[in-house]
Amino acid sequence: MGFVNTAEYAQAAANGQTWVTQFRKLVASATTTTNAWVDYTYSGGSPSANFYASAPLEAAEVETARGIYVPSVAPANQYLKNLMVMTAASSATSTAEGRQELILCDYLLYYPFIDTDAVGEEQTLTNSVVIPRYSGGFVVAVAQSAGSAIGTFTFTYTNQDGTPGRVSPANRTFAVAGGGQIVGSGGAGASYYPFLDLQAGDTGVKSIESVTMSVAGGGLMALVIVRPLLTAHVQQECRRTTSSNLESYGAASEFSSLIHHQPPRIIDGAVLGILGCGFSGSLASSTLVGIIETIWN
Amino acid sequence: MGFTSHDDLLTKITVDGQTDYVFANKALSAAQVAGTWTLMAGHAGTPPAATFAGADLTYVPTDDTWGEGALYHGGDVDPATKHMLNMGGMMVAAAGAPWLIMPIDLVGYVPLSGANVTSTGTKTVSMTAIGSGSGTGDRYPNGAGLRLFVACDTVMGANAPTCIINYLDTGGGAGATTTFTSTASLPVGALLNTGAAANKYNPFLPLAAGDTGVSDIVSLVWAGTAHASGTVIIGLCAPLGPAIPVPATGLYNKYDFASAAPSYPRIRDGANIQFLVFQTGATTSGGTFMADITYAYGGS
Repeated sequence: MGFVNTAEYAQAAANGQTWVTQFRKLVASATTTTNAWVDYTYSGGSPSANFYASAPLEAAEVETARGIYVPSVAPANQYLKNLMVMTAASSATSTAEGRQELILCDYLLYYPFIDTDAVGEEQTLTNSVVIPRYSGGFVVAVAQSAGSAIGTFTFTYTNQDGTPGRVSPANRTFAVAGGGQIVGSGGAGASYYPFLDLQAGDTGVKSIESVTMSVAGGGLMALVIVRPLLTAHVQQECRRTTSSNLESYGAASEFSSLIHHQPPRIIDGAVLGILGCGFSGSLASSTLVGIIETIWN
Repeated sequence: MGFTSHDDLLTKITVDGQTDYVFANKALSAAQVAGTWTLMAGHAGTPPAATFAGADLTYVPTDDTWGEGALYHGGDVDPATKHMLNMGGMMVAAAGAPWLIMPIDLVGYVPLSGANVTSTGTKTVSMTAIGSGSGTGDRYPNGAGLRLFVACDTVMGANAPTCIINYLDTGGGAGATTTFTSTASLPVGALLNTGAAANKYNPFLPLAAGDTGVSDIVSLVWAGTAHASGTVIIGLCAPLGPAIPVPATGLYNKYDFASAAPSYPRIRDGANIQFLVFQTGATTSGGTFMADITYAYGGS
């Protein structure tokens, strides 16, 4: 199933086999780190905030209602048709929210409330649910509190092929001001990236079995397994000055399947969320707004 | 149907004159709420403010001759088909940016007032199901592609009940939207099912799994604590094209559908072109909206 030509693609729209959902996520007021990543699902708005609030150290699926709504369309296959994004500045004078890298992801599984201060202790994770929709994904470390230090940890996991006992290289956390900020980092803790390093040769993680901190990070984090679907960006933040010569700024970025990229498939039950990296400064109190359109056949 | 090539399109425009332009502008009569969508039809401007007249709980079909205020887009062109070539939009307001402007074809609506809003329970709708015919009343055969929303006709009173709409899908099977939670004190035009909170759906209500449209509105069910006052409509519409982003006040944005995929969204004979607007922040009262669509028609 899918589309064999652009005529089918156009006809699907005429048949009502499309959906449009608009989202709006307001980042909390805690300062975020320039060049580091945030998990927009953790922010309030529409859809409502995803705090990864469930039993500590137990695997759980991210609730459907925490994702940007898309319908289930089985037996058809659904694809991303269009993603459009804008960011609203935190104030009339802020220029900190422009130039964001975004990654649209399907959020699969998470392990909440891992203590980054538990140095030397293997924190065993419970796997009573299995990863949905995919055989594996990438791992994101999301802060569930402020973090005070550059911590170091490894984790054991089962890889995309179902091979257990895999051990990650040393990954690091860094100091963050609040929950929802991605604390994964490399090197000396000043090189930020969204996805944690895996054992050589692995391309994904099916489940995580344990986490061991060797250096304390001073906070709590969730390890979240996601499937990246599309990389996008926003350019200039939207704002209007309030003094002197009044000036308006802003930009919208649109990513259209077939024109700009191949259409990523969205599997029924997908929990869509966005990771964002602000290159211009803190994203605190800014808003990410956009539209997702899907199409199926 | 449509155009066989860009040469054909150019001929239709420059030789046959089969093209024109529609324009709408509105001024918000009340401040709008951050994170919500607004149906602009109830605000003054061009076309004039609609009041959504009609008997309670009785479906009112609308088309391009709707007396309350529809945009004239050249009349019926069957057997040719009419398509959008481009669309532009702009907002001017002291606050509320960024915005999104979405064109819709408002196929019809169901008015609810009085106790049908201020009491809970099932409110049964009287409607003849949309058929498979080719008339403008059935311009989306069996309701294919139609979507539902609930909008304020007059300002809502206190309380925030939950709401669900029962409908028939394109095959005549029973379906129900996802339950949404309304919001107290929403202003004229605001969509009750939208907002920045849990149990909100922007801008359209999710249909039952597998459904691709709505042929018949069966009932609306309020639960919880009813709104203290207000009037609403159930809107039945088809999205006409992508939402136009408006990053900041006074910035005019335009979509060129020649480079879209799929291109040239269709405007069906009888389409009642209206607009939905999303505001990230609270749009100030008196804020102005404008949109324009250039279209052409071709085929035989």
